[in-house]
Amino acid sequence: MAGPHEVLGMSRLLGISTTEFLARYADNGGTTLRFGADGRCVFVTPAGCRVHSRRPLVCRLYPLGRATDGAGDERFALFPKQDCCEAAFGTDGTIADFLESQGVEPYLEWSCRYGELYRRMLGILDRLDIQGKVEAGAGGESDRAPISPWQDIDASLAEYCAVKGIAVPAGIEESIDLHLEAMREWLDGLEGRIGPVPGDREGVRKP
Amino acid sequence: MNRREVLKLAGTAAAFCASFGFLHGSQVGGVVQDKHVVQDKHSVQHKWERAELKWYSGATLLYSSAIPAEVAKHLESDINATVEIKLFRSGQLLKSLGAIQGKH
Repeated sequence: MAGPHEVLGMSRLLGISTTEFLARYADNGGTTLRFGADGRCVFVTPAGCRVHSRRPLVCRLYPLGRATDGAGDERFALFPKQDCCEAAFGTDGTIADFLESQGVEPYLEWSCRYGELYRRMLGILDRLDIQGKVEAGAGGESDRAPISPWQDIDASLAEYCAVKGIAVPAGIEESIDLHLEAMREWLDGLEGRIGPVPGDREGVRKP
Repeated sequence: MNRREVLKLAGTAAAFCASFGFLHGSQVGGVVQDKHVVQDKHSVQHKWERAELKWYSGATLLYSSAIPAEVAKHLESDINATVEIKLFRSGQLLKSLGAIQGKH
């Protein structure tokens, strides 16, 4: 699993664009990293992970799994150690210490911000009543191409900034902020055309 | 909204669902299920988080809403936990719509 912001971070580390990264290293519609013939992530080498400093959240969390409930409470699960994993496993530390050591905080924050947009998308789709009516496809080689143009931050921002007449940001954090802003504007436009959601101006239904 | 826009929206939602591990189909505000979730440990909780109330006119869906988080939490607390759904109009009970148990 790799979100657009994580693809951006790894791309910058490798010195390539997100467009090239998705073409060379992504799979499953641009949503996961590619695996080699040995079944390992394409970035795993005998010397370690090639993108370790910009590794995705899922890699930072491992061997923990994280879920949040409707009230925002977190739960963590422990996954069994993979045979090929060389990390030190133990139970003498705390989850908080582990998360801090892995630098997960900004990644959780980004996940939360993209999650808000995701729920707005579901709100619009639900109102269009098309959920479950779009076939996922048969799979195969063509599945490697990104499902959505929004997954490619460099291409998305190049188009957005050209329309706005502004400079494309150079930094990773600034690019993610602008990517989120561009997506918000896109969803604002869609919601504006289908009208306000009854009882919720933001298009997200809440209990 | 034209077909291309709908496909872009659906594709983006699908991509986010897969790449972030968001809980697909849930409309409950605030629910974001992250990656690598052990389903068997949380299946009971997720069951009610994903519940929705839907209003139909014949086969036409008029409106749907997630059940409130407090209600989901109550139902998840115990398989025998029960909630009753009652319809009121102008403060007066119009009809009892039935009961739901945590084990449903």
